[in-house]
Amino acid sequence: MTGVNASQRNYRVILPENALARWLEWLGGFYTLTGPVGGGVAARFTEISKFEQMDLDYQSTMLPPGKKYLFEPVEEVLSFDVSEGVFSSGPYPPGRKRALIGVHPCDVNAILYLDMVFLSGPYADPFYRARRENTFIIALNCKSVTGLCFCHLVGAGPYLKAVSGYDILLTEIGEEEGAERRGGKNRKFMVELVSEKARELCDVFPFSMGEQPEEKDFEKMSRMEAALLKSFRKNLDMEGVQSALLSRPDHHALKETADSRCLSCSNCVMVCPTCFCHDVMDKTDVSLSRSRRVRRWDACQDISFAQVHGGNFRAQRHARLRQFVYHKLDYEEQFGRKGTVGCGRCIRWCPTGIDLTEIARAMME
Amino acid sequence: MITRETAKKSLHVPVRAVIKGVKDEAPGVRTLLLEPVEGQFPRAGRVSRPGQFNMLGYPGVGEAPISYSMLPPGKTDAKAEELFGHTIRRAGRVTGYLEKFKEEDEIFFRGPFGRGWPVEEARGKHLLLITGGLGLAPLKPVIEMAPSLGLAGATLLHGARTAGDIIFKAELARWKTGGAVEIGLTVDNPPGNFFKKRQDRGLEGFEKAIGEIRTGLITELIRPLQIDPAKTVAFICGPEIMMRFASRDLMMKGMGGAGIYVSMERRMRCGTGHCGHCQIGPWFTCKDGPVFSCAQLRGLPDVII
Ligand SMILES: Cc1cc2nc3c(=O)[nH]c(=O)nc-3n(C[C@H](O)[C@H](O)[C@H](O)COP(=O)(O)OP(=O)(O)OC[C@H]3O[C@@H](n4cnc5c(N)ncnc54)[C@H](O)[C@@H]3O)c2cc1C
Ligand code: SF4
Ligand code: FES
Repeated sequence: MTGVNASQRNYRVILPENALARWLEWLGGFYTLTGPVGGGVAARFTEISKFEQMDLDYQSTMLPPGKKYLFEPVEEVLSFDVSEGVFSSGPYPPGRKRALIGVHPCDVNAILYLDMVFLSGPYADPFYRARRENTFIIALNCKSVTGLCFCHLVGAGPYLKAVSGYDILLTEIGEEEGAERRGGKNRKFMVELVSEKARELCDVFPFSMGEQPEEKDFEKMSRMEAALLKSFRKNLDMEGVQSALLSRPDHHALKETADSRCLSCSNCVMVCPTCFCHDVMDKTDVSLSRSRRVRRWDACQDISFAQVHGGNFRAQRHARLRQFVYHKLDYEEQFGRKGTVGCGRCIRWCPTGIDLTEIARAMME
Repeated sequence: MITRETAKKSLHVPVRAVIKGVKDEAPGVRTLLLEPVEGQFPRAGRVSRPGQFNMLGYPGVGEAPISYSMLPPGKTDAKAEELFGHTIRRAGRVTGYLEKFKEEDEIFFRGPFGRGWPVEEARGKHLLLITGGLGLAPLKPVIEMAPSLGLAGATLLHGARTAGDIIFKAELARWKTGGAVEIGLTVDNPPGNFFKKRQDRGLEGFEKAIGEIRTGLITELIRPLQIDPAKTVAFICGPEIMMRFASRDLMMKGMGGAGIYVSMERRMRCGTGHCGHCQIGPWFTCKDGPVFSCAQLRGLPDVII
């Protein structure tokens, strides 16, 4: 964080928590405020009305905020009026503008990945785009890591390095001396207004209630980041992974894990912040007057996922587990980066504790 | 009946087309000639190329990826009136539903999608086309444009289960007389096979026009070929196992994987690179394919090429 130039610093301020809280509640006049509620590794993003409802010390959520709010689990994409013969699609976006507050770096990176999936190809998805444009993202650098986190191995955390694609970045950098706030300490946050959208709010941002950050504050952040980096317990040679996996597609570690432990329950895929696969289904109303085309999250762990006339390319369980592991740790050609952001959710929510980094490690030995 | 359309241009909204012709090709296989009438799918300016496909279907039933067997004749501004053709085999929900469609019925599509056959690469070279069953359909447009491709020569080797299953018989006879393409045919089951006899009736005229139909797998036709690997480009389309053996035979003759192209079939739900069903390794079959070189696919899991 050292070597920040002056103009960049103009958009940074150290703000006490109570000032931040009031400003966010003001923002709630324009956006549906959505943040982490309930702490620990099983917090959940949900709509809030008061800053105090959030637990900004949360470590993880089961459903990732980006996927949950930008890519709906079930969504109607097309409707056909049978008697009129008329199609309609939309409206986009369904719903109000949303501010996602306290999104961890891995989950911000996952949103940037979903952007590539839904917006960067020859066709942009209008539903995703509309929601994305209507979403104000307030990222929060991590202050603790869990035993399953490995974002540091793929540059997705614990501090956010991306310089665009989100709006505000918060880092908790200490407590206000002597100030008591509702029985607790009044914490201080480094607030960085990153996007144009955020900077346009400058006029109404309570800069006056904060302090201009100094060199020592940036140094403190660097020290906190370095300490965090030391606390990761997961490790894997990410350079070596790429060549190891593809050269050993039938490795026994993959097969044995799949055959003895995988239930093909698809939990891993559902909680994955970068898994984007979905099925598309047509449904006709009982009145036969309207047909709807609906997309719904789908998973490569499902046996019919790769079924075609005359064959199933992943009929075997280990082939399906391999697809998940390879899509996360290899296949960088797809979007120019790995599919994983290292959030550890697939490991945490697997009923039998299957760990893709352990499979990869065994395959590299 | 054509009615007012209200939807915005969107990748989710199909184009309405009217069926202008139906032709039975073989048991369970029909060609539909389609005339787009109106629609919102953002296809203006997109040129349809051989090897590309449309998501074809009917609302309430679903969509299935189907390759062009006849391209719209137009050039850059794909006008509504341009006829194009799809040759469809009954396989499941959508294709089964389409089977009862007749002339003047409405049908819906989105597309064109995907990367087609790299016909430019065949310029000045010998183009070897190897097809199995319905795999001839996506290469029909290539055969038809062969005289204008500046080829050193072209050979089509086609295999079907029985003689009755051979599609495009009239076209095959026409191509044979046209002389732009040398043709070799083979069937797994010989004509006259007791169980297949009924389907083979009326084939005498075709056999007269086309010459000998051999018996055996397509590889029987590949093995005797004389190939100059540096001056040959191969396009293969058929069941994946057939493409595997055909491409390996060509490699045995010295061809590299980069000059051998195959069209891959995977489950597809969107065609636009979003649903993820069609992934092969890092590639999306719908947008990076369906035509891939063997070099691109080599070593990827869940591929038998
Ligand atoms: C690029 C491309 C081009 C193609 N071109 C052509 C073409 O020109 N002509 C042509 O005829 N075909 C073509 N196909 C193949 C065609 O798209 C498939 O046959 C398609 O599956 C037909 O769709 P459907 O809805 O009729 O069948 P589906 O209902 O999808 O059924 C297809 C098969 O999958 C099985 N199946 C479906 N759902 C499930 C499930 N949930 N669980 C288990 N099994 C299931 C069915 O039993 C059946 O065997 C092409 C495919 C691709 C990818
Ligand atoms: S969560 Fe675990 S058991 Fe379930 S499909 Fe994934 S790896 Fe298999
Ligand atoms: S068909 Fe949906 S991603 Fe290719």
